[in-house]
Amino acid sequence: MKMIRWLQRAVQFSLPSLAVLALVVIFIPSPAAAAIPTDRTFHIEARRFEYAPATLTINPGDRVTLELTATDVVHGLSIDGYNLEVTADPGQTARLTFVASRQGSFRFRCTVTCGNMHPFMIGKLEVGRNTLLWKGITLLGLALAAGMWRLRK
Amino acid sequence: MRKEWIARVIVIFLLAAAIGIPAVGWWKRSQGIVIHARMAETGGWTPENLTVAVGQPLHLRLTSDDVTHSFAIGQSDQPAVEVKPGEMTEVTLTLDHPGKYTFYCTRWCSVNHWRMRGIIEVTGQQTTPEAVEPPLYILLGLDIDGDHDAEVVPAQMPSALRGAQFQNMVAAVYRSREYYQTHSPVELWQALRSEPASQPLADQDVWDLVAWIWQSNITPQELSVGQQLYTANCSACHGETGSGNGVFADLLAQPDTENHSVRQTGQMTIRPADFTDPVHILSASPAHLQGKLLRGGMGTGMPYWGPIFTEDQTWALIAYLWSFQFEMEKLP
Repeated sequence: MKMIRWLQRAVQFSLPSLAVLALVVIFIPSPAAAAIPTDRTFHIEARRFEYAPATLTINPGDRVTLELTATDVVHGLSIDGYNLEVTADPGQTARLTFVASRQGSFRFRCTVTCGNMHPFMIGKLEVGRNTLLWKGITLLGLALAAGMWRLRK
Repeated sequence: MRKEWIARVIVIFLLAAAIGIPAVGWWKRSQGIVIHARMAETGGWTPENLTVAVGQPLHLRLTSDDVTHSFAIGQSDQPAVEVKPGEMTEVTLTLDHPGKYTFYCTRWCSVNHWRMRGIIEVTGQQTTPEAVEPPLYILLGLDIDGDHDAEVVPAQMPSALRGAQFQNMVAAVYRSREYYQTHSPVELWQALRSEPASQPLADQDVWDLVAWIWQSNITPQELSVGQQLYTANCSACHGETGSGNGVFADLLAQPDTENHSVRQTGQMTIRPADFTDPVHILSASPAHLQGKLLRGGMGTGMPYWGPIFTEDQTWALIAYLWSFQFEMEKLP
């Protein structure tokens, strides 16, 4: 009995509380990764039409060195969201060093036309947890809950 | 009345544009030869044989059908231009001497990249027939296809810096440019070993001396030119560290499988040479290496660089190859 009354009260306040929750989700910074920034080196082999490895996982603040080796034709690499670009000829390893200052998940792409499937030569750089994605999912959940509540009313 | 004039002007302008724009495009296209670049496996350059009269400007419009290529002319100072898919690169060449020029691709575009070559024939009256001297390996009668293994190799990498302290013991004959070009380090080591002056030296000391003599025949400029040529042209197969493990090395060393009958003449069967292997390299003289460079082949996938490199470039490249065998830091 007590339980039901409590629930009723909760439902009464639910719309404003949902809004507050949504603001919290948007503005509260996610728990910062406790990892100490380190130097990382990745050796990436680029061939038509893939990178190996295609997914790089690092922590925010890391100093990253990419060593790009092209094994068939000239390939390049540029990371969306980071203003970086590098080109590697076969036999000439190209190096790129940067500090991963932005958190999130970024695509990197080939910058030199390397054949018909060139636009699909894509890899992923994951800098820490993808907080934007999780915030989005939580907000969507809240929006759904709000919608349900409105319908029930 | 005035309105009619304006209408007439507009009609005439539009007509002129409708005729003029395609005409200009057609005129531009007719100015020069369009050359399509493709990987060697799918056709290379099209067309690959050009003829032009001496002194006549040659307008070329270059485009690529697949990946990034580059256009350059062998043994000339003409800077290489990039040839990209979807773009037209315009080049105007004026070739002043009659003869055959080789144009080639300078960006590795597949394992057969070096086969992407074409010929420009420049016709005209040859004023004075040039006396062409055959390369050194032919004058010396060297067999560049033969096996050559060093009987003696140094225990550790010879250092020119250590060798410099014994430089007074060397007779002038061993220090000449001619001696350097025509003798292998092993031959020099054996000659020095048999000299009475160097009897008190240990074997490694003599090797250090060999490294010093080799270094004294090589200028720092040669080394840097050689390094640039090596990275651009050799490291894709021979590896950036010279150990024969470049990105194409595994493709070249295909094991003999059942498709043996499909294999064409000249297809690669042997791994690229390992320049860090003293047994293989210290037994070769600069003239010997130059022969391999110019003619290629040797039953391997080695390209022939004769029409591409000038003589100075070959010596610079060979100078750089010795840096895989000898420690050649600058003398203080």
